[in-house]
Amino acid sequence: MKIAARVGLLVASALTALSCNSTTSAKSALYFGKIEPPQGQVMRYISGSEPESLDPQVSTGQPEARIYLALYEGLTEYHPVTGQVIPAIAERWDVNANNTEFTFYLRQTARWSNGDPITARDFVYSLRRGLSPALAARSAYLAYSIKGAQAYNEGKGRAEDIGIQAVDDYTLKITLTTPVPYLTGLVAHQFFRLVPRKAIEKHGDAWTRPENIVTCGAFKVQSWRAYDRLIVVRDPMYWDAGVVKLDQITFYPVEDTTTQMILYKAGEVDAVYNHTVPYAWVDEMRRLKDYMDKPENAIEYYMLNTKKAPTNDLRVRRAFNMAIDKDALAVYRRVVKPLTAFTPEGIFPGYPQPRGDPFDPEKARALLAEAGYRDANGKYDPKKFPVSDMEISFNTNEPNKQTAEFVQAQWKKHLQLTVPLKNVEWKTFLDSRAKLEYKGAARAGWVGDYMDPYTFLDLFSTEFGDNGTGWSPPEYVAMLREANTEHDPAKRYERLARAEVFLLAAQPIIPLYTSGSDWLKKPFVKGMYANPLTLHAWKYVYIEHDRSKWDIDDPPLSTN
Amino acid sequence: MLRFIVRRLIVTVPMVLVVVSLTWALIRLAPGNFYTGEKPIPPAIQKNLREKYGLDKPWYVQYGKMVSNTLHGDFGLSLKYQGQPVNTILRNALPVSATVGLLAYLLALVVGIVSGTLAALRQNSKLDYSSMAVAMLGISVPNFVLGPMLVLLFSLTWYVLPPALWGGAKHLILPVLTLSGVYMAYIARLTRSGMLEVLRSNYIRTARAKGLSERHVLMHHALRGGLLPVVSFSGPALAFLVTGTVVVERIFALPGLGNYFINANFNRDEPLIIGIVAFISIVILLFNLLVDIAYGFIDPRVRY
Amino acid sequence: MLTTPIEEDVVGTSLWKDAWRRLRKNRLAIIGMVIVTIVIVASIVGPPIIRLLTGYTYDSIPNDSALIKSFPPFTAPDGTFSWAHPMGTDIAGRDILARVLLGGRISLMVGIISTLVSLVIGITFGATAGYLGGKVDEVMMRIVDVLYAIPYMMVVIVLLAFFGGQSPLGQLFLLFAALGAVSWLTMARIVRGQVISLKNQEFILAARATGVSTWKIIARHLVPNTLGPVIVYATLTIPSVMLLEAFLSFLGLGVQAPLASWGSLAADGIQNIAIFPWQLLCPGVTMAITLFSLNFVGDGLRDALDPQMRKS
Repeated sequence: MKIAARVGLLVASALTALSCNSTTSAKSALYFGKIEPPQGQVMRYISGSEPESLDPQVSTGQPEARIYLALYEGLTEYHPVTGQVIPAIAERWDVNANNTEFTFYLRQTARWSNGDPITARDFVYSLRRGLSPALAARSAYLAYSIKGAQAYNEGKGRAEDIGIQAVDDYTLKITLTTPVPYLTGLVAHQFFRLVPRKAIEKHGDAWTRPENIVTCGAFKVQSWRAYDRLIVVRDPMYWDAGVVKLDQITFYPVEDTTTQMILYKAGEVDAVYNHTVPYAWVDEMRRLKDYMDKPENAIEYYMLNTKKAPTNDLRVRRAFNMAIDKDALAVYRRVVKPLTAFTPEGIFPGYPQPRGDPFDPEKARALLAEAGYRDANGKYDPKKFPVSDMEISFNTNEPNKQTAEFVQAQWKKHLQLTVPLKNVEWKTFLDSRAKLEYKGAARAGWVGDYMDPYTFLDLFSTEFGDNGTGWSPPEYVAMLREANTEHDPAKRYERLARAEVFLLAAQPIIPLYTSGSDWLKKPFVKGMYANPLTLHAWKYVYIEHDRSKWDIDDPPLSTN
Repeated sequence: MLRFIVRRLIVTVPMVLVVVSLTWALIRLAPGNFYTGEKPIPPAIQKNLREKYGLDKPWYVQYGKMVSNTLHGDFGLSLKYQGQPVNTILRNALPVSATVGLLAYLLALVVGIVSGTLAALRQNSKLDYSSMAVAMLGISVPNFVLGPMLVLLFSLTWYVLPPALWGGAKHLILPVLTLSGVYMAYIARLTRSGMLEVLRSNYIRTARAKGLSERHVLMHHALRGGLLPVVSFSGPALAFLVTGTVVVERIFALPGLGNYFINANFNRDEPLIIGIVAFISIVILLFNLLVDIAYGFIDPRVRY
Repeated sequence: MLTTPIEEDVVGTSLWKDAWRRLRKNRLAIIGMVIVTIVIVASIVGPPIIRLLTGYTYDSIPNDSALIKSFPPFTAPDGTFSWAHPMGTDIAGRDILARVLLGGRISLMVGIISTLVSLVIGITFGATAGYLGGKVDEVMMRIVDVLYAIPYMMVVIVLLAFFGGQSPLGQLFLLFAALGAVSWLTMARIVRGQVISLKNQEFILAARATGVSTWKIIARHLVPNTLGPVIVYATLTIPSVMLLEAFLSFLGLGVQAPLASWGSLAADGIQNIAIFPWQLLCPGVTMAITLFSLNFVGDGLRDALDPQMRKS
């Protein structure tokens, strides 16, 4: 027994030491954990799950996107602070009057990591490869508005008929079937980044291995071991190599939240990707200078099954939306902004974002009474509501669970209904959502593919398959398509906002919040910003060895 | 004995086929597939994907291909980690899992058997109670708690060991300790009860009556029989340890097989699941065979 | 079966009465039993009492958003001493004591029922294989090997796909099925190992020579003699199924939020260990104390049922 007691004592003393340690350091220090800058210009970053591949066209996820910003470039790039479009391999571009023809002028200094020059023909090759049915790229639909792209991808057309043309070595023309005003932002997406023809033709599937890979970004692959680390080093061939300050970046695929925080605290990594700080920690972390907080180009919402009772009734859908106090939810979740609409709040400057129904439990109860759930006096009666036909289903994940528990408590309080929660394994969840088999509400989240409200509104104009709610009226689709024909950005935004109002009125969804970026970086990491995409332009990042500059915020950034 | 071993080895092949076939069927029955994502993919692209991976063929053709792949020991390309052959993944990940697993089990065996035996020899003494209490602590503290606690002590309070990631010998210490905790406890308790059982049996009494030294009785007679439960336990336990344990590999971010396996299940990555399962089943069969052989050596009463 | 009711009665009485007599003398086992009983009673009557006294249930999130945060044990929002939350509150401001007690219901039920299931299947299967030996043993043990190798996670995913969406009771049944399905395998191997080494001993040979039936030999002579390791392994199974339950709730089996089990509370708590240690320590220590006590009960039982000790 003595040994057990002693072990217990040891653990307890260590724990108290630790918790005291953390509270005192929170009061006195500005930073979290060990702060010791690495030797030289070397950066260590946790990039999320293991990358599916180093081929930018076949992988679709964010963990890969974070890495591709170091390895590959496209015509355009995301601004490291605002996320808006900036030139990359294309120096500048022209657009015709109705947004259907884009001409890109490429810089003549751009090179592959093996020294070969990058020309317009490389872009033609990349897009044709990306769309080829044999590659079966999952993001290929992003290019469907380019002429001939969809037909080729569906095996009905020829690669030569795709509306992408090398006018000369450094001029590229893209022709569209429908107007896409946001195309310049879209082509920064990983699917449109350049892939090396020679290496692919020589090595086939194996071209992404470290010994074969050829890249075009500011960094190139040095070594890669799956589930361990990917090391990239500065590429002297890169056209803007003079700006690049880091010599090396190590990307660690770490999935466990606790491990991520521990590695960061122990000073084993210098920054982590977004949504990594457990929200229980946020109150503590927000006081520290490590904490990077900014609204993201992403929303979190619940889908409602509009094909199944009781949520097939608009009044019921509205009632459930109005019975959630979104402001309280945002306080509870700490890192997010309340959301009543379907586009993230404060992300698109100039977009007249509409507001959805406000929090109004009384009105919610009245709506339910109106929908038939009332007693003899016409008053709302929760006993009449078929609560067993409702559920909040979500894929297993701590934040999802916490949100669901909160929403459940809200409905219990305001509607006197205890809607059961159901957590489901990821793919099973997606399957039941896509097939509309879920009851009531299902959790959903979307990270914008590009910086435009359209990436969100388009989720419900699905021509393919189902969007998870069963709601996709032709009027709505038409409103979106017509908005895109508008050349004047302000007027286009107005028309998109009208479509959003239409969507909110039908309430196939319950908006919950705009996500916050919620990540950490050490004080010596400079040139790394909290941006709405949480994708970092690695070429601007550097390690500041001068301690006196650590507490000073980053200087404004000039990009060319 | 030799005939027994040969028979068991031959039976391994159909056994592995049974396991992979059942697994294959399970993957097919599970909802969703490898390309199901947050946003549904257009049907044309789904068709492209199915053609690319041969999923458009009739099920018996696909099944036949899977069986032939398994028999050839070449499992094809992973669906999730595109362009990576399953065999390469296995080759890279296995040494990591095997190193951590074997070291952890060795540690658990040594500590477990010694403390279990001592506890049994001094039954109901303070030593017995305290070592069993510690063992119980080891079992009651799950490794997803033990791991972070060790990290808090050694990496964040005393700064003596790296908290995670794969590297040199130093990186092995915490994962091995975390992993061995539960097994140590199991082995200690199984040893103790096995030993208690044996120490009272007739042949030990006979040995003692013959005037053999206590040490001789223990080493040459008692341990043999007393360790039987540990041996039964060791087959599957070792097989699981060697093929990777999810929790420890996740907590310490190790590039091992367990990490791959859990994600392969979530991703419905059929070739990778089949490859790992085939491998695990071979390991289990082999270790259980070794255990059965060991029975014969340890306990002369066992006959085949 | 040749047994006559009278014979059965006599044997049964002396075995269990004897055991109980010896168990009573074992102080640790009695203390363990008392603690386990206290925990069981507390988890049954505790939640309603807390609700009566403080108004908190396991899932009540306070209305006042200033209270939606984690307070340490015995601490009021203003930092003074208070009896309101003896284990503090979690990040949603919920009373941890109420959650731990409710979690106890689930975890104890899961631990005990699944272990009993695994005992029944494991002993029957293992003893049969071990005693019959030869081809039967071969086939039975290879079945166990196959079951070991099948990816358990896939089984649970498929199980849920076909039988999911059940009533809470159906879900619970599914959980026991899923837990029982794995935990008996090692049990069967252990029992088989013991039986193989016992079956050539004199008392079994004697029984066989006097024409006692196979099933009776297994049930009356072999199984009681394997009880030592079996009881020990069973006490080891209880914590492991409790933790397995936490993993299963990750797959959508197990308990659904806002319900909790000790395993899921510990898994949530470990994330915040550096900031809110009580979120882990409260459920963790409760669980550890219970398992300790169960273990002493198990040890006591083992000693009490030991056929070799019966004469002493």
